[in-house]
Amino acid sequence: MFSEETLVSSRRLAAEWERNYQKMVDRFGENAPTRARAPETHSGLPIKNAYFPHDIEDLDLGVMGAPGSYPFTRGNLAAQHQLMSWANQPVIGYGLPEHTRARMDFLESQGMAGYFGQTFYNLVYDLVSHEGLDPDHPGARGRSGQCGMAVYNVRDMDRLFKGLDLRRINAIHITYYQVIPALAQYIVLGEQRGLRPDELRGNSMNWYHQAAYVGMSAFPADQGLKLSAELISYCSKHMPRWNTTNIVGYCLEEAGGTAVQEIGVMLAVGRDLARACIAAGVKPDDFLPRIGFQFAQANDFFEEIAKIRAMRRIWATTMHEEFGARDPKSMNVRIHTHTSGAVLTAQQPLVNLIRTSIHALGAALSGTQAMEVSAYDEALAIPSEEAATLSLRVQQVIEEETNVCAVSDPLAGSYYVESLTDRVAKAAMKVADEIEQMGGFVEAQKAGWIRAEVERSSERWREMVNSGERRIVGLNCHVVEEPEQPEIFKVDPEVQRIAIERIQELRETRDQTRHAAAMERFEEEVARFAKAELQDLGNDRLMEAAIDAARAEASTGEMMAVMKAHLGWGAPHEF
Amino acid sequence: MDAPIRILLTKPTHDCHDRGVRYLMRVLRDAGFEVVFTNFLVSDDVLSAALQEDVDVIGISSSAGGHMPVFEELMDGLREREMTDVLVIGGGIIADSDAVRLREMGVGEIFGPGGSPADIEAFIRQHVRRQPGVAVR
Repeated sequence: MFSEETLVSSRRLAAEWERNYQKMVDRFGENAPTRARAPETHSGLPIKNAYFPHDIEDLDLGVMGAPGSYPFTRGNLAAQHQLMSWANQPVIGYGLPEHTRARMDFLESQGMAGYFGQTFYNLVYDLVSHEGLDPDHPGARGRSGQCGMAVYNVRDMDRLFKGLDLRRINAIHITYYQVIPALAQYIVLGEQRGLRPDELRGNSMNWYHQAAYVGMSAFPADQGLKLSAELISYCSKHMPRWNTTNIVGYCLEEAGGTAVQEIGVMLAVGRDLARACIAAGVKPDDFLPRIGFQFAQANDFFEEIAKIRAMRRIWATTMHEEFGARDPKSMNVRIHTHTSGAVLTAQQPLVNLIRTSIHALGAALSGTQAMEVSAYDEALAIPSEEAATLSLRVQQVIEEETNVCAVSDPLAGSYYVESLTDRVAKAAMKVADEIEQMGGFVEAQKAGWIRAEVERSSERWREMVNSGERRIVGLNCHVVEEPEQPEIFKVDPEVQRIAIERIQELRETRDQTRHAAAMERFEEEVARFAKAELQDLGNDRLMEAAIDAARAEASTGEMMAVMKAHLGWGAPHEF
Repeated sequence: MDAPIRILLTKPTHDCHDRGVRYLMRVLRDAGFEVVFTNFLVSDDVLSAALQEDVDVIGISSSAGGHMPVFEELMDGLREREMTDVLVIGGGIIADSDAVRLREMGVGEIFGPGGSPADIEAFIRQHVRRQPGVAVR
């Protein structure tokens, strides 16, 4: 990228800097901190204390590209945030559907905005739904409406979206392994309102892959991959606007993984998923454009930005070269940023607002498409209305006041950022290729490799915090006597009683004959699906049967019970 | 020499926040304790694991809410089975006001986010195998 003359000057300047720098460091002797002597990123990649043009001499303009051109290092589109800023996607969900709806309406009144005048609702289901239970199951006690909304069937969904035109909103369903029942119920809600599935916009998470690094009960890995492909296959035919899958690196970094592991594993997930869909008869350009990505934006400011730029490059080149993707949308990494929750502290909670502001700025500079900013009280409880509003304000201040939205990929050309992008990309490819050699993501999961790698990083981080090498304000430095815990948000205990009353009413008042017939058919299809191979998929019979069960007002708990019985269910990342 | 102290660390099946408790498991093992790690759906799962593994300490990790009924049922269950010498501790995201109630119920201590594993280890050594146990305080 630089002339021979420039490179010679660059090396000369670097040598001069090095001498001057070393003199200063020597003066500090033993007292010079690690970052002055042997700096590294939070992922453990060695870095330098200053960068020069020759540090990126191998980088050619073709690899860098332009915003909107292959390999998309600099962004998916020519315009980044100039015409429309990122979508505000705060996670919403607690209590009864009505409580969640009140928070949705409140945040909308505070300026929460999506694209093209659509409102995006990023809705999380509760612990009972995640576990695949109904609210009157013994395992549901104390958990209805906790950490999410108590939505278990089509009637609950109707309460949630009462009076909203589903064609004017983007409904993001944050589910874990109950993703098929939840999507089936949403499709049926649309039907009841006279809408075809292809008129619905929104997202399913399709998060089976996260069982490799998240410790919740799950379906076995092989079944999970098939279930992902089933949903994608159905949507590729019937729901062209639906975002079928969210490859979730966020949870991996939150579980203790590094930025390098995060994107390396995301690419490995993508490879497995692409192979599965192709086996099921779906063409790459028919499913890749509807895959989204969720990243953590954590504390190492520049590494987190480099990570996003690197991921755009390695995803585009892998999908193009290995899977023959042609459509630019198939090669794009559409980003949902979730600022890190794991780095927030329960100590001096307001300080979290400062942390999340820095994370959010990093996400804006790396060209995110959508953002959730964690709430400052997250390490204490479900976010209060005040905390949720301030999180939205963080996004709005960056968007409205800082002028960072005027320029696409503003850090491009920084010797450090470009060099680090390249380093992170190469290190992540190494992770992805190592997984490939084990037979792919699912095999690596079953071997326990992914979990072990993440846990090793998590422990390394923790030891560094314990030793004081990694500093956390309020935790191991600048510690103060904590005042009494502030008023925290709690879910109304009435939620559980009402949720139980509602599910019992549903069972009594729905059409019993129709329900029994639909559940019988669903069970037959699940049993058949459990034995099927990837190449047997593509007929969408499981999805169709799930939609029929939802029409007959089957609850999430009922459908999940059938799925667990036939597909298997148990401790994650081991089978 | 006393037999090694046996600890059950457990968290709800649907609670994904297991980073802290899994780290604690390693620290306690390194410190010479015998540690069993499980997931539970209902409090009976905790009780039967505690019985089967014959543990001295039960540590419940909860970071997603809904912990109060679990602790209530667990403490009742321990009393019914006369396992009151078992030390129960908790950790995760548990409000201070809940922690006060839990201590009244006989839970030994609640450790919050950012808590030091060394403090937990010290607490266990100080309070384990006391007759009558912390559980009937």
